Amino acid sequence: MSKKKLVIALAGNANVGKSVIFNHLTGLHQHIGNWPGKTVEKAEGTLHFRGYTIDIIDLPGIYSLSAYSLEELVSRNFIAVEKPDLVINVIDASVLERNLFFTLQLIELETPMVIALNQMDIAREKGIEIDIKKLEKILNIPIIPTIATKGVGVFQLLEKAVEMIEKGTVKPTKIKYGGEVEEKVNNLIKMLEKLQLKYPRRYVAIKLLEGDQEIEQRVNEISPQIVSTAKEVAKEIERLHGHSCPTVITSERYEVAGCIAREVQKLVIPAKPSINEKLHNMTTHKIIGYPIMISLLLLIFYLIFTFGNYTSDLLSNILYGFKPLFVDLFGSGFLGTIVWGAIEGIIAGTTIALPYIVPFYIILYLLEDSGYLSRIAFLMDNVMHKMGLHGKAFIPVMLGFGCNVPACLGCRIMETERERLIAAFVSTLVPCAARSVIILGLVGAFVGIQWALMLYIIDLLIIFSLGRLAFKALPGESTALIMEMHDYKLPHLNTVLKETWFRVTEFIKIAFPLIVVGSLTIKLAEFFDLLEPVATILSPVTVIWLGLPAVTGITLIFGVLRKELTLVMLATLMGTTDFAVVLTHVQMFVLALVAMLYIPCVATIAALVKEFGWKKALFITIFEITFAIILGGVAFRLLTLASI
Amino acid sequence: MERQSSGRVEVPLSTLRDGESGVVSSIMPRHGKGWGFEKRLMDLGITPGTRITVVKSAPFHGPVEVLVRGSRLALGRGMADRIFVEVDRK
Ligand SMILES: Nc1nc2c(ncn2[C@@H]2O[C@H](COP(=O)(O)OP(=O)(O)OP(=O)(O)O)[C@@H](O)[C@H]2O)c(=O)[nH]1
Repeated sequence: MSKKKLVIALAGNANVGKSVIFNHLTGLHQHIGNWPGKTVEKAEGTLHFRGYTIDIIDLPGIYSLSAYSLEELVSRNFIAVEKPDLVINVIDASVLERNLFFTLQLIELETPMVIALNQMDIAREKGIEIDIKKLEKILNIPIIPTIATKGVGVFQLLEKAVEMIEKGTVKPTKIKYGGEVEEKVNNLIKMLEKLQLKYPRRYVAIKLLEGDQEIEQRVNEISPQIVSTAKEVAKEIERLHGHSCPTVITSERYEVAGCIAREVQKLVIPAKPSINEKLHNMTTHKIIGYPIMISLLLLIFYLIFTFGNYTSDLLSNILYGFKPLFVDLFGSGFLGTIVWGAIEGIIAGTTIALPYIVPFYIILYLLEDSGYLSRIAFLMDNVMHKMGLHGKAFIPVMLGFGCNVPACLGCRIMETERERLIAAFVSTLVPCAARSVIILGLVGAFVGIQWALMLYIIDLLIIFSLGRLAFKALPGESTALIMEMHDYKLPHLNTVLKETWFRVTEFIKIAFPLIVVGSLTIKLAEFFDLLEPVATILSPVTVIWLGLPAVTGITLIFGVLRKELTLVMLATLMGTTDFAVVLTHVQMFVLALVAMLYIPCVATIAALVKEFGWKKALFITIFEITFAIILGGVAFRLLTLASI
Repeated sequence: MERQSSGRVEVPLSTLRDGESGVVSSIMPRHGKGWGFEKRLMDLGITPGTRITVVKSAPFHGPVEVLVRGSRLALGRGMADRIFVEVDRK
């Protein structure tokens, strides 16, 4: 059997069902990574079919093939430059017009393609009937109707794709713009004739008129004259139509998509609103939308954390149960310390992070795929704007109250790198469960609950003001919500679980080494009796500036590993859990304040590194340490003056 | 900010009442902010000449839910202020 290799890419709008189809096709043989040098995700998988080894690439969900976002750039470069043997354009049958707008652009890239007309069930539910034969004829592209979540049509899709590659493809119908635009495009194509380009000429001509920066730059390198001609032509079109040239072209493209859609689809609007519609109205309702959201989020919160706590305890009981075995094996000397230090790091990672991250991912994907996430963003947009973010950022920030790690990872749902970074930064300032332990266990229990509450209020104020500050300081386009709220859908569990699995393994790869190194370092410092000297070195900060006992230097260092260790170590080092004996009220408050802000724990730092790279992670870490120390010292002085 | 044009008025999308619809006439660019956001709106189907219906807005000046070309979108309030639509108003 010959082993011929084929490459097939899946392309389409966001949320059309590409991932589900991808999963059906590739099963477990997949790999999720990033596009080289980009923060855009790349899902790749392989399958064997009729003697072929087929590489399937799941391109990011996009609405256009311009150079506006990284996702769009990556997708069109892949299609134009790497030239996959075929592109499967996945279309949401229930939003045909908008999806065809994208199809028309794929046609302009002159790539061989097959269309998967997906979500046929939802279209039917909405009373939309599509004449597939007619659509096939108009576009001259084979179309396979599918219901990805049920696996319907996926096999036929694959068959058709391979058949098309073997046959050599028929050319899809070229779409024509209005008279003047078409004429100008043709003139430009003639001018481009002699140039060596990686994109098709017609596409380049159109993109030049659209003022596409990447294309302009490329053509400019070979022939600056064509670019300036194109600019003049664009001006002319603008004068003729009264709108900018890109506007005219986009409008005309949409007109074509609209015409085709109207021609092939019949709409029988159901007599009464569907359950889907009712659910949407309820969950976005001005009044009842909020209690629904809050109860659902609390429930999720509760589920994640009871599950997390339970599993975490269980795992740590089991894993720490092996400690005597290790002590027997390696002794408690140098070797024993190192081995146990490394093992304890792994145990810490397993017991602290995983029990929360796994359910978190599952729920995040369920929320996203079902469509509820976009409803939350709709309801919360306004509040989030106060800190320079938009509605979608509410999710990571809220998750931060549980654990900052999933919060940082959850920032992926934001569209731009800048928003991702601001949201992650804000999330690391949110008091996670471990910090709540310190706030409540120290200040709440010994100073008074109103002071604990005060800490939360201070934190919220800090979050809002630093969020705004970061928003002002970071360059880039200001955030605004432009989001599709697609119909509610039943998520495909298998896809959700697979996505979770890949995310979690990815996290383990990054975080665990860091946690192990951190744990080892502290164990070694302990072994060589370096903790005392370190506490002494830190004492100008801890004792003089913050007014705390010197041992807190050590506890704060342990807190980097896991925040609640600050409290645990304090008890160990002070030899008592009755903190009132060893600390004044002011000291407790200051210590809790510093612990709350001073640094994200090592797992969070790992998450930051993974999402944003070393530099930014380090910057956030150092900033937060400095900020916490300054604020702690100020609080110490103010509180001493007011003497609580 | 109202512009009169042959019996119809041109108003920002954000001023439409729930359930009201209009035809997009123009999108006002933001000063010096590049043209990314208009591009995004247009790619989602909000092009001049398109009929757009406001379904509802979230409270406290929140985003606006609109129907356009058979899809449902949420637009931040700032966005909706910049989209001008023609409506029939007496
Ligand atoms: N009812 C129904 N739901 C579907 C169908 N195909 C996909 N879905 C659901 O639609 C949602 C989105 O599917 P995904 O596969 O994640 O979409 P995608 O195209 O990969 O989206 P992005 O990752 O945003 O690009 C999920 O909840 C799926 O379960 C279908 O044919 N019928």
